[in-house]
Amino acid sequence: MSRNRQIFIGVLVVLAFVLQISVLPQLKIFGVMPDLILVLAIVVAVQEGPVPGAIVGFLGGLLQDLASPQVLGVGAFSKAVVAFLAGTMKDFFMTYTILLPVLLVFFLGMLEMSLHQVALIVLGQEQIPPFSITTIVYASLYDVLVVFLLYPVLKRFRFPLKEESLTIAKPGPGPG
Amino acid sequence: MPKTPKTTRNRIIVICIVLLCVTMVTLYVREGDNGPLHKVQNFFLDLVSPLSNGFSKIFRPIKEGFVNLFHLPSLSKQKKELEKEVASLRRQMLEATERDAENTELKRLLKWTEDNTEQPVGADIIGQSPDNWQRLMIINKGSSQGLKKYMSVITDEGLVGRLISVGSHSSVVQLLTDSRSAIGARDVRTRETGILEGNNTGELRFTPMNEEADVKEGDIIETSGMGGTVPPGKIIGKVTDVQNRAKGLSRLMQVTPYVSFSKLDKVVVLVTPEPESIILKESQ
Repeated sequence: MSRNRQIFIGVLVVLAFVLQISVLPQLKIFGVMPDLILVLAIVVAVQEGPVPGAIVGFLGGLLQDLASPQVLGVGAFSKAVVAFLAGTMKDFFMTYTILLPVLLVFFLGMLEMSLHQVALIVLGQEQIPPFSITTIVYASLYDVLVVFLLYPVLKRFRFPLKEESLTIAKPGPGPG
Repeated sequence: MPKTPKTTRNRIIVICIVLLCVTMVTLYVREGDNGPLHKVQNFFLDLVSPLSNGFSKIFRPIKEGFVNLFHLPSLSKQKKELEKEVASLRRQMLEATERDAENTELKRLLKWTEDNTEQPVGADIIGQSPDNWQRLMIINKGSSQGLKKYMSVITDEGLVGRLISVGSHSSVVQLLTDSRSAIGARDVRTRETGILEGNNTGELRFTPMNEEADVKEGDIIETSGMGGTVPPGKIIGKVTDVQNRAKGLSRLMQVTPYVSFSKLDKVVVLVTPEPESIILKESQ
């Protein structure tokens, strides 16, 4: 991944966090809002691999944990794990269209929310929000909508490395 | 296959992430409310609250515009209903004024002194919970204005919730509708006390202490003051549904809060001498 691409993704993480705490609470449908940071982490994992995805999930989740009165590190952990899984699982799929991140965001989104809840139970937190399948499904569907906005943006701004650009610019000699 | 330096580096990164998370979680859970990680969290909240405030001020009118557009067809019907309600409320207000005067006079005769030491502090709503599991709001006042954990938050419509986290210039309000919120409440008509719980929807659930309590649709619910965190007599909402269930199961009583949480803009925090959750304190 090029340096420019790293900076671009870093800026997107901060932007996603800002939108998550300011704009998205105003856009709730059926009482749920999308998790922009989770979607970003999964999309990065699909395009760049499990480790960049896990880093984005960790940093974004940490920012989210800091901005709400919940156990610090749980959101960072669940998002990092899920993004890592997304990056690992993408190789098992035979498609590289937008369908891949859509499926991954829908199913892994549900997994992340469940993982978050389980982590709080394991930690013996006194006040744990009730596990609601409806909320999980609605939130995952909302996340899928965000994929359609985010995936093309990340795909467009790839910032290829110098060597990659040269390879594209100078094709080898053709036959004959 | 020989390990490449990149693979090793990736493994180190993943291990570092896991270790960092585990360390943070362990330290956070073990330390008290005044621990360093809690302080960092409160500091961060103070830091991002102006940002959140700015954005919500920009987007709130846009959102309200859309919401109003959807509600346009029902506005005429709503207006007629409200006019009827206003007339009824005016009558009630006159009666209440007379009762108030009578009450004051009787208290004077009995030399009754009320222990009313609440000091109101106005605050703006500057943010909301960034996830789907909590019904929280962030206000722009904190410990530097004398706010403390568990203080009550109200509006002119009724009780909003209570503070669950206080930073120096911002605080987090747990709304009544949050699924973890449970406060002592009572029926104004029959004085039957019970617990009022949120469930992450717009409605609340009232469970009276007395299983056979006389609670009807339309009854007004207010705070009972039991539990130690919320002062008594703060209006909450109206009973909108009472469902009788099989013997042995508690009755389901749905309460619709008077406060419209989605339209909250400004609130008042009741600064009391030492609010504290008796239940939470005992469990520690």
